[in-house]
Amino acid sequence: MKPDLRVTIAGVEFANPLMTASGCCGYGEELAGLFPLKRLGALVTKSITAKPRLGHPPPRTAEVPSGMLNAIGLANVGIDRFIAEKIPFLDKQDTRIIVNVAGSAIGEYVDICARLEDQPRVDMVELNISCPNVSEGGMEIGSSAAMTERTIKAVRKVFSRPIIAKLSPNVTSVVEIARAAEQGGADCLSLINSLVGTSVDIHTWRPRLTNNRGGLTGPGIKPIALAMVDAVYNATRVPIIGIGGISNVVDAIEFFLCGATALQVGTALFVHPDTPVRIVADLEDYLKQKKLSSITELVGKVRKY
Amino acid sequence: MTKPTAEDTCLIKKRSLANDYFAITLGPYSRVSQLRPGQFVHILMPGTDIMFRRAFSIASTKPEHKSFEILFKVFGRGTAKLGRLHKGDKLNVLGPLGNTFTWPRKGATCVMVAGGIGFPPLLFMAEQMVSKGYDPKSIHFFYGGRTSADILERTRLRKLGIRFHPVTEDGSYGAWGMVTEPVTEFIRDHGTKRLRLYGCGPEAMLRATNELALRLGAKGQLSLEAPMPCGVGICLGCVVPLTAGGHARVCVDGPVFDIGEVAL
Repeated sequence: MKPDLRVTIAGVEFANPLMTASGCCGYGEELAGLFPLKRLGALVTKSITAKPRLGHPPPRTAEVPSGMLNAIGLANVGIDRFIAEKIPFLDKQDTRIIVNVAGSAIGEYVDICARLEDQPRVDMVELNISCPNVSEGGMEIGSSAAMTERTIKAVRKVFSRPIIAKLSPNVTSVVEIARAAEQGGADCLSLINSLVGTSVDIHTWRPRLTNNRGGLTGPGIKPIALAMVDAVYNATRVPIIGIGGISNVVDAIEFFLCGATALQVGTALFVHPDTPVRIVADLEDYLKQKKLSSITELVGKVRKY
Repeated sequence: MTKPTAEDTCLIKKRSLANDYFAITLGPYSRVSQLRPGQFVHILMPGTDIMFRRAFSIASTKPEHKSFEILFKVFGRGTAKLGRLHKGDKLNVLGPLGNTFTWPRKGATCVMVAGGIGFPPLLFMAEQMVSKGYDPKSIHFFYGGRTSADILERTRLRKLGIRFHPVTEDGSYGAWGMVTEPVTEFIRDHGTKRLRLYGCGPEAMLRATNELALRLGAKGQLSLEAPMPCGVGICLGCVVPLTAGGHARVCVDGPVFDIGEVAL
């Protein structure tokens, strides 16, 4: 019998638990040329802000051992053009659509989510309260429990569908922020966003990113992400989307066992754009081999010492 | 634009050129007949310690053998690994990627400005033009390098019958100086009417070529290089600023841009 890969988050059913991570797939147009998007559980868009943003000047990515640093700086088309130019394309895709929203103040999150409320094709929003690459807002909100709760409460008033809070690892206690997000009314938590880091060219003495620092992603951050998913799973009741260096089925299974209901693949898309599709196929094989009927049987089942 | 795919290919042939330069031929590759001058492939480095693919311009294709050739200089960890490969080793290739040069009208004078390891796409273009019936004498191939050893595939270029103008910074081969100097002279003498300029090379050379073309009023295109994590337009790591404002992605909006289009 074919194992069941469907998962449900806040009443929304996903064909499988594999999603793209925000900022790693644009608005889906390029990825659609590489594999049919219906093979994804959901597409998570690049962060959308109120006004278009060009982002930081290049260089804004740098490869480091076991990962990459990026300081793209939330380059995006802005909410107006997103609705006018990108929603019509997303409308035709047979997958769930999660729109990632970023802002420099609570009001910006509210304004954007109010606009998305009128877009029925948007299944959920994911609030980026954890971007390390912009000076204002973003991580400033996500590193304060009070601000996190207030932001989600404010968005809750204008957006009726599920809200995901994307959490930062650059905090003293991710559990404290997770609890605040839950308290504020988040239906789901996604974690982790990137870790603040930098790298310096020893010949020019210049940082390898014009923003001087960036967000570390890729395989190297997986152990950190797993520990945080595990901690948050044990401290909250809402479903968790695991993010952080997921490149293959082994990574995926580890995240499920530590408490993730669904997963987002980010940096790995830059190496093998079809990584989520491969993981879905390999997950099916794993479940068959373990004689499990549903992926949900793995969630939080890590056997701790 | 054709949709890129990833597939495994084999190293069929490896030639060691001078000064840490290598030419490798890969195949069988199912998309070989779709590869055009200016386009590139994104190659997964062997082993597990280098995560991102590396971009290489196509230097030539042999559709009858389902193979293509890339040229590179050992520069960093990735190219060092490629240089140590042997015949039969497997490489995963994502392609075809990027746009292509717009060909000149037949009868127009074609000025190619190659610098260092920016040479392969222009070699591909020159060979294709000659095989498609362009008059080889209408192709002026200016090729600059630091020293004599940086000027590759001389016999191959000469055999094409094109006008080959090597230039070295130390004067050890061809003219002495920067490649843009004889190019400027040539365009001044020839005039910009019925002339197309194509450039690929290091940033400083591209900037100088862009500037001289704008100053003299010559039309043409430049092929850019940028560190490129994904190669398919999703990471936004390889952007360059446009003179008209905004950014363009080198990987999918380029690598070939019109002269004056990019704020170099």
